[in-house]
Amino acid sequence: MSAIIKAGAIDGDRFDRSRRIKWIDMEKIESARCFVAGAGALGNEVIKNLVLSGVRSITLVDMDFIVRSNLNRCVLFREEDTLKKTMKADVIAKRAKELNPGIDITPVNSRIEEIDSSCLKNHDVVFGCLDNIGARMHLNAYAYFYGVPYIDGGTDGTTGKIQVVLPPDTPCLQCTTNKTHARILEKRFSCTGQDISIYEPKIPAEITTTSIIAAIQVREGLKILSGKKEYCIRHVCYYNGFLNTFDSFEVSLDPMCPVHLSKFSKSVHPYSHS
Amino acid sequence: MPLRVKVRNAESGATVEMELEGENTIDDIIEGAAGYWEKDAGAYVLRRGKRLLRGQQTVAEAGILNNDELELIPDPEGG
Repeated sequence: MSAIIKAGAIDGDRFDRSRRIKWIDMEKIESARCFVAGAGALGNEVIKNLVLSGVRSITLVDMDFIVRSNLNRCVLFREEDTLKKTMKADVIAKRAKELNPGIDITPVNSRIEEIDSSCLKNHDVVFGCLDNIGARMHLNAYAYFYGVPYIDGGTDGTTGKIQVVLPPDTPCLQCTTNKTHARILEKRFSCTGQDISIYEPKIPAEITTTSIIAAIQVREGLKILSGKKEYCIRHVCYYNGFLNTFDSFEVSLDPMCPVHLSKFSKSVHPYSHS
Repeated sequence: MPLRVKVRNAESGATVEMELEGENTIDDIIEGAAGYWEKDAGAYVLRRGKRLLRGQQTVAEAGILNNDELELIPDPEGG
């Protein structure tokens, strides 16, 4: 029996135009489970892009509430959210469902270090949209441990970075760190137990850089979900928004990297920096 | 015998010449250059060609040669 098609069906399909991109596997994207850490500027853009790209199942973790200075770069936040001090993850979950009511998005109001990291293994891709090195190293270590691809984004003013970690084939974030990273990590955690005295510099941020970096994060995620890992950034890409240049660099795997060692021994603290 | 390399500041385009011994580390180069340009406290990486160099590697291990050009790049951590 021959197939029956319906006139006008093309424009009734939300993802018809996406399906026309040959390398995109919409079936896999629609059945994928994505984990997003951080609901700030990058988190807003990454969630927006994932939802509009067809991802239906998302876990979103963030510990923070919305303030007015977020509004220059967070597409899903509104003025009213700042008055109620609403949690970022809750608001994004609500607004993402407005973009596509068919999605299942779970907001978790917590520090990334405080969730049960074993939940990462139930996801297909992890997106890092974080604002500090300590949280990045934590997420990187556990994503690597559970063998889940990790796509990290970072911005500072008009510069940005995307790193793609594909365990066990590529180096991880920890492999790229040096003393300058460790120094910031120590500063941030030098006053444990007193949130108020944690070192938190105000990093310059605006929407155009944020949207570019988040778009590339999601693009790389779509490649992974569509079975096109070999076309992902190898391994880290820097963006200079003032000159509009992109440069990709390779990183060699650090044989002493505690993340790779911890793959075989849980006794090694996964993000210690010796 | 010491090597002499040129380190470029990716943000400003400025360069500085640096003298290195084989046992110096990439961390030493990053800290020396960041200090010279009085960079803000933040994370930086160093590239040689299309490779990022690991902090703990020595100049000899990283294969750095006389007259090489290296670049100091800020590593953005905002989200």
